[in-house]
Amino acid sequence: MNLDGSAVLSASPEQVWSVITDPAVLARTIPGCETLEQVGDDEYKMNVSVGVGAIRGTYAGEVKLSDKQHPTSYVMHASGAGAPGNARAQVTINLEPADGGKTNLTYSADAVIGGPVAGVGQRMITGVAKRMAGQFFKAIDAELTGTAAPAAAAAAPAAATASDASLVAGGAPVAAAPAVFAGKAGEHVRTSGDVQSLLMGAVGGALLTLIGILVGYRLGRLR
Amino acid sequence: MTTKLFGEPVRRREDARLIIGKGRYLDDIGHTALAAAFVRSPHAHARITDIDVERALDVEGLIAIYTYDDLTGPMAEPLPVLIPHPQLTAPRTNYPLARDIVRHVGEAVVMVIATDRYIAEDAAERIVVSYEELPVVVGVDAAHAAKAAVHDDVPDNVAARHHQETGDVEPALAASPRTLSFTQYIERSASMPMEGKGVHARWDADDRSLRVYSSTQASTSVRAAIAAKLELSLDKVEVIAPDVGGGFGVKIVHPWPEELLIPMAAIALGAEVKWAEDRREHFISSAHERQQRQDITVGYDDEGRITALDVRVLHDHGAYTPYGIIVPIITATQLVGPYVIPVYRVRIDSVYTNTVIVTPYRGAGRPQACYAMERTMDRIADELGIDRALVRERNLIQPDQFPYDHHLTFQDGRPVIYDSGDYPGLMDKLKTLVGWDSVDALRTDAAARGKHLGIGMALYVEGTGPGPYEGGHVQVLGSGKVLVSTGLTSQGQGHETAFAQIVASELGVPIEDIEVTTGDTRRFGYAVGTFASRAAVMSGNAIALAARGVREKALRIAADVLEAAPEDLEIDEGLIQVKGVPGTSIPLRTVAVLSNPLRYAFDEAAKQATQFTTHDDSKPPVAVGDAPGLEHRDYYSPLRSTFASGAHAAIVEIDPATWEIDIVKYAVVHDCGNVVNPMIVEGQVQGGVAQGVGGALYERMVYDQDGQLQNASYMDFLMPYSSEVPDVVIDHQTTPSPLNPLGIKGAGEAGVIPGTAAIASAIEDAVGRRISSMPISPTELYDLVRNPDSELTAVAAGRAGTGVMA
Repeated sequence: MNLDGSAVLSASPEQVWSVITDPAVLARTIPGCETLEQVGDDEYKMNVSVGVGAIRGTYAGEVKLSDKQHPTSYVMHASGAGAPGNARAQVTINLEPADGGKTNLTYSADAVIGGPVAGVGQRMITGVAKRMAGQFFKAIDAELTGTAAPAAAAAAPAAATASDASLVAGGAPVAAAPAVFAGKAGEHVRTSGDVQSLLMGAVGGALLTLIGILVGYRLGRLR
Repeated sequence: MTTKLFGEPVRRREDARLIIGKGRYLDDIGHTALAAAFVRSPHAHARITDIDVERALDVEGLIAIYTYDDLTGPMAEPLPVLIPHPQLTAPRTNYPLARDIVRHVGEAVVMVIATDRYIAEDAAERIVVSYEELPVVVGVDAAHAAKAAVHDDVPDNVAARHHQETGDVEPALAASPRTLSFTQYIERSASMPMEGKGVHARWDADDRSLRVYSSTQASTSVRAAIAAKLELSLDKVEVIAPDVGGGFGVKIVHPWPEELLIPMAAIALGAEVKWAEDRREHFISSAHERQQRQDITVGYDDEGRITALDVRVLHDHGAYTPYGIIVPIITATQLVGPYVIPVYRVRIDSVYTNTVIVTPYRGAGRPQACYAMERTMDRIADELGIDRALVRERNLIQPDQFPYDHHLTFQDGRPVIYDSGDYPGLMDKLKTLVGWDSVDALRTDAAARGKHLGIGMALYVEGTGPGPYEGGHVQVLGSGKVLVSTGLTSQGQGHETAFAQIVASELGVPIEDIEVTTGDTRRFGYAVGTFASRAAVMSGNAIALAARGVREKALRIAADVLEAAPEDLEIDEGLIQVKGVPGTSIPLRTVAVLSNPLRYAFDEAAKQATQFTTHDDSKPPVAVGDAPGLEHRDYYSPLRSTFASGAHAAIVEIDPATWEIDIVKYAVVHDCGNVVNPMIVEGQVQGGVAQGVGGALYERMVYDQDGQLQNASYMDFLMPYSSEVPDVVIDHQTTPSPLNPLGIKGAGEAGVIPGTAAIASAIEDAVGRRISSMPISPTELYDLVRNPDSELTAVAAGRAGTGVMA
């Protein structure tokens, strides 16, 4: 299944790149994101809950970046699974300067959907994906223009564990203290690095896109 | 001694449960199933440019949305052309969900699945489909003119040119003493069963099998279609027709898109899915029938004997041809009716229009054929000033001319050879029944009351019981219960009664012991379907043969036990006894037990069949070539169709102030060979007459020039109430069929066939104006009568001025 789309964001490509690679920003702008966690070089884990029709459910996913060319493009490989189904995708992201100091972001995703969710029909899946992409870009734009309201405390369970520096997903030891970012909690948890977990949901392109953008964050970024 | 039930007016056994709400119709099944709703095209001809589902996503309870893009493999191909024919040169069928182009209002574009129908419709309403409209073709004349094409690659809109001829008609016409030509129209109507179409599907993921309930007339063939399209092995698909609330032909074409899409969704979602159409959907996405333009030229002599007949028809086939050209073929071959037509040529062009598809509706082309032939007879009579009955009598095939070969090829691919009949007999009985010769007195009496009275008649011959075959299975259980099954389906014809009567008569068991199952592929796998008045002929005979097989085996086993010869035995009330020796007997149920040699006795009765109770060392328990159990399966496959016949007459009174048309008498003489249940046959006739009256006076599909169906509801599509349908006086004639063991002919469609012709004739007789378009409403009649240019009949011109006739 293919999904292509674009968005115009109110900042330069460099600014966009930096915002969309800020894990705390992402945690609160990805629709339904519950937790983010880095698990390796350019690799992340994430939990996202989706609430549309038969696609409703919580998805656990993994994302890996490649072909990074700051600040113009990269490719994201993602996979994820949840009770309603699973997905695998490859998304290419491009950032181009646009008039008025803005950025034209385009994404092109190629996805394979499996499990019960695959049975709901292409238009439903791409519809949900596009909607979530739209919500994400709108939230990102709000962050860029400084109009994002401080997020209310969310019930994200990960918030409780944010301070547990020893929490490591998958049990692999990580040199830098990993952090798990709360979705929508608005906490400015800065990490010593590349601790972002992304959740790859079964929801086609939108999540993949969001993840792809999120993964544009460069490793080793310290705050 | 029981009365043999064959031929008795046995009360219908299925009615008790159907009337008190214990029927099991499609919508009674699957209370927890997901529901489907469809987004259907609002345009008659358009290209789909976009499908936007965004707003539907917010509907809580939405599960899935499908369009053509979700169809894969055979599902992505067009629906099958069920009955190919060499003259169907440009067949076209639709896809289950529209692909790029929609060609009639109502074509399905998107399927929505949700937790219930209300939610599914809410979601469907929010889906926005964008269209680019294309030129629309409505009506046979516009299709013929072909200024626009329904299918791009069929620029003349002609799907088929059906052509049959029995000689050189043009020289024959040229040589005829007289000829006349005329054009007439008959309009679209539709089956309108009380219950619409519906499908319920359940996929068992564990053993990968599919069970589908469909309100269909052909469950066996739907099963094959679903297996093929969804790429399942046939043994993994079951299709059952539950109680069906009427079919009348519209449920014979298959697979409907929904019959494929609902199972597809059930498999994709791993859930039960159900869909039952609503009335508007039935109007715009089922099937219609009847519209034709007929151009007739007939040659005849001064006595009214036909010398040659040349008929050209434009037949409206709607947007697609999934059922092939069966309806026009039936028109072509049944047009000749009960008459000797020395030279006959018929050419029927099936044309495409941007309207709902045309597939059989009770009569399936015969009403149009009868209308053509009978109105021709009326005109000949009018020209010559001869009584309309007399002209017909002069042309009738005589009783000593059977079998009568018309040299035509019928819808089953076999010759049109009338096997038996007595047409002069029909005519005599009809004239007596309706009082044909004494109608002038009635006319005068009506005139005194200020009404115009007219009488009309129409005769028909109907080919029934086409093959290829049907089968029957009869089994007697140790409990005494007799199970009967056949593969074709029931829609209210009383099969559970008629077939039980046949078995009761053949086997000698009480009818209460018999249980009949139809239309279930789990019970009987080989079948064709219910259509063309064939169920009694086909399944009736097959079941009779199966019952005879059971009887033969039962007598054989009983003869052994009673130490008598099988020919000395008889079965009555479930008891096998030696004729004339009441004491020596054995119940049939015991024979059923004995027929299955047992090792294990599971009840008292079974003990009788166990190995230490009965055995003969010299023979194996089950003889070579025999089988355990008291059951038999048999098939009936006809050499060709068997031809029923009938004659109807109608007397109408017309009020010159309101132009209301009142049918004051309706007479039917009916010949369907041997009759299984005369009450059921009369019910069939009465029901058919209701549809005939509907078609003559009330029912038509009104499409505007943009292909919009303007009367897609019962508010505007007029169906007769019982107040509009006359009580029918019926007389019977019986010319048994020599083609099948029971001697029966079909009766299902007979009542509707001559309705339009007979009533047109009666109205014409009443008002003296030529009726050349049916149906006719009081308004149209009024316009016809006051229009100075409308054609007067010769008879009217002859009658001394009586008001409107002047």
